[in-house]
Amino acid sequence: MKTLLDKVPVAIRSVDISRELLAIDDLSNYPACRVYVFLGTRLLGMVDIENARQAISPACLRDAIADQLGWQLGSLCLGDHPYQPELSLIERKVPALPATAGPSRLPASVSVSIALATFDRPEQLQECLKALCKQESPRRIEVVVIDNHPSSGLTPPVVADFPGVVLVSEVRQGLAYARNAGFVHSSGDIVIATDDDVIMPPDWVEKLVAPFERSDVGVVTGNVLPRELETESQCLFEAYGGLGRGFNRMEVGPSWLRTSRRRAAPTWKLGATANAAFRAAVFRDPKIGLMDEALGPGMPSGVGEDTYLFYKIIKAGYSLVYQPDAYVWHTHRRDRKALRKQIYNYSKGHVAYHLTTLLHNGDRRALFRLLVELPHSYLKRIYQRLRGRSVYPVSLILLEIRGNLEGPFSLWRSRRRVGREGRSQFPVATGSGLPAGIMSSDTGPGVTGDT
Amino acid sequence: MADRIKVLEIDLNQPLAGFSGLEDYNSIHAVVRWRGDPVGYIDVPLCNGHCSASAIRAAILKVHSDNLLHSMVRRDLDAPFSDIQDLENAKATGDTDSAARADNTLVTVAVCTRDRAEQLKDCLTSLSKLAYSKVDILVVDNAPSTDETRKLVQSEFPDFRYVVEPRPGLDWARNRAIDEARGEILAYTDDDVLVDPLWVSALVKVFQDDPAVMAVTGLVAPFEMETQAQVLFERYGGFGRGFKRIWYHVDFTSRGDSFLHIGAGKFGTGANMAYRRAVFGKIGEFDPALDVGTVTNGGGDLEMFFRVLEEGHTLVYEPAALVWHRHRRTYKELHVQLTNHGIGLYSYFMRSARNYPRRRREIIRFGLWWFWYWNIRRFLKSYITTPRVPRDLILAELRGALIGVTRYPKARRRAEEIRAEYRSESRVSPGGIPEPARSE
Repeated sequence: MKTLLDKVPVAIRSVDISRELLAIDDLSNYPACRVYVFLGTRLLGMVDIENARQAISPACLRDAIADQLGWQLGSLCLGDHPYQPELSLIERKVPALPATAGPSRLPASVSVSIALATFDRPEQLQECLKALCKQESPRRIEVVVIDNHPSSGLTPPVVADFPGVVLVSEVRQGLAYARNAGFVHSSGDIVIATDDDVIMPPDWVEKLVAPFERSDVGVVTGNVLPRELETESQCLFEAYGGLGRGFNRMEVGPSWLRTSRRRAAPTWKLGATANAAFRAAVFRDPKIGLMDEALGPGMPSGVGEDTYLFYKIIKAGYSLVYQPDAYVWHTHRRDRKALRKQIYNYSKGHVAYHLTTLLHNGDRRALFRLLVELPHSYLKRIYQRLRGRSVYPVSLILLEIRGNLEGPFSLWRSRRRVGREGRSQFPVATGSGLPAGIMSSDTGPGVTGDT
Repeated sequence: MADRIKVLEIDLNQPLAGFSGLEDYNSIHAVVRWRGDPVGYIDVPLCNGHCSASAIRAAILKVHSDNLLHSMVRRDLDAPFSDIQDLENAKATGDTDSAARADNTLVTVAVCTRDRAEQLKDCLTSLSKLAYSKVDILVVDNAPSTDETRKLVQSEFPDFRYVVEPRPGLDWARNRAIDEARGEILAYTDDDVLVDPLWVSALVKVFQDDPAVMAVTGLVAPFEMETQAQVLFERYGGFGRGFKRIWYHVDFTSRGDSFLHIGAGKFGTGANMAYRRAVFGKIGEFDPALDVGTVTNGGGDLEMFFRVLEEGHTLVYEPAALVWHRHRRTYKELHVQLTNHGIGLYSYFMRSARNYPRRRREIIRFGLWWFWYWNIRRFLKSYITTPRVPRDLILAELRGALIGVTRYPKARRRAEEIRAEYRSESRVSPGGIPEPARSE
């Protein structure tokens, strides 16, 4: 990550190694370049190249790929060479290739709803909807846009250009309210949650829903890649961890949640609802329900709504699959102020999430996380920064600490607000999904879930 | 008592075999190669002059799994994979080896030598075995005191060109090679070197793959480690610069990057370097005030690496371009060599600081840092812990550094005198190239 922070802006490019490598030019404004490496449509990983504002020749690109992705690619080329057979031991060190989504074995009759939450970002929403229209899938795909700020009137004209897209209004601000409204109004067997600031490749839906062929899978999360790294803030956000969770498939189940008696299971490393698919049935499971409205962006608590939902779903006995192949491109916030706010919110939300698991589920491991692990990790990071081993600014670490301290208070405020505004609910308690037509774009504000 | 180490090559395309009959040696130091690519060194101790294939295999796997794998992946990226199934087919069609590509670029290989006919013979023999066909080999005899070199070349290597450069100094000889070269690419090596058959092929491939590359340096491995001095030199750092291909290009607009090219020693050495001939027209020729044969005793190669990067060109270190260097055999020679190394390096700093005022501050800062980090710190540390090399060698280089700071102006004046002297002579004998005539 060091290169990225030193070298701003960073160009984002993709290459497909199943074709002949071509030079990457038009980099005269970029001291560094991040290249996502594909084999066909399969995402293998990324390489960072310090190109010093020069074009990257195929030879240079090839060296960087071999150098940085050698072990991932190794399994593609081992066994093909008449090299010393006694060295086959290498083969055992090579990890299996990230599993490919492959042709989905999920029946085409399984329908999908995409719940897209938006808040006054018409241009980005338009791009996102365009990308959604290009999805290649044999199944019925319903797109539900949740306008979380209907009074501005910015969203409906955009949605009107896309026939078939359902518009739902949710006046109560907060991403969890918006997502819940989306879940409630989706008719598909699978509900995909996403945001307005991403775009997706055409095979995204199919790759994301493929793991649902197994009945124990309750959630599938996907990778989130930066669409651009033009400003320092965007690079810093990637250095902070970004939204992606790497290129290796993960799968966790209820036993994973119980791995340690002392340490909280790191559910926050499982992905984010900018790119996540849920089995629609889980929301009607009494042990799970909808998202906790007291968490998440738009609330004082900042984030944590997705993490807590994952927590509940896994705890209820479902598995979560992280499917790195199903990626979206996310536009990170460009300015420093927005970045600081986001990191501050993440820090508040992290604490709020843990307190929620403690208060709602009696998970005492949260205390260990909050009182021991977090302070320790901050000390370690500051130490590393001071020793020059990291370039992540101390000012941001301090900001995170402030956010953490603010966390409990913010959770209390959020809960009071939810108490005032009410919780989201399925309109019909019998549990059968409503036909989508009822909730079409003429739905007035506040109709959803108000009781 | 001397630590004798047997230098070997292990080719992974052959079945691995053990070694025996090496009773005179303590261990082996081997370059592991896979399809010609050097993958890394292994050091395996010998027991009664014997070491087993399994010990070698274990050593390779332990140290070089990574490099080996990268080598394989790189090869495969050369011939793109379309799919895993396709890869299976590719296996059947066989070699996409670089050896198959047409040798369509003429390469001039320049060997600059002076009165070392015996060693030169080995060098030229290795050059006659190059796998690359389109080479033009040029022996530049620098201010010879005898005509042994000429006799050697004319009698045993009639295909090689021989020219005399009467102006004493290695950089005069290198510049002469630029004038005489016919190839688009000009590769330099020294007379105490044996080149690998694939040396030129590897160099050319880098130039062909990327037209922006102006200079390529390669791996210099020890030819033998028979004496303590040779072992020490390798331990001191040697000439090798690792087994990873590295692309160097300096981005002067990025803060902090304008330092990266000043420590030019990391790019390689004059015993194994190649340039696009056109680059000399853009950035100038070698500075005759530097390097062996002058009072600066070295630094000409480093200065050229620096200049290539400083002028905004790309330099690549390509380990597949492999040569074997015969290190100095006696301790005394090693001592002198390290002193000269210090002198050469600091002369190069002085020269570059003088010619590139815009980079002067960085050069001075780097020079001071390097002096502290490499010369002083290691010297002081040798009193605290047991040093890897004897303290007097560290001291020799430290002394060289101090001397080096003062030498460049004098060398420059001398070079000017030589230039004037030979210019007046060439006026007497018109025809442009008076020197060979003079010696014959």
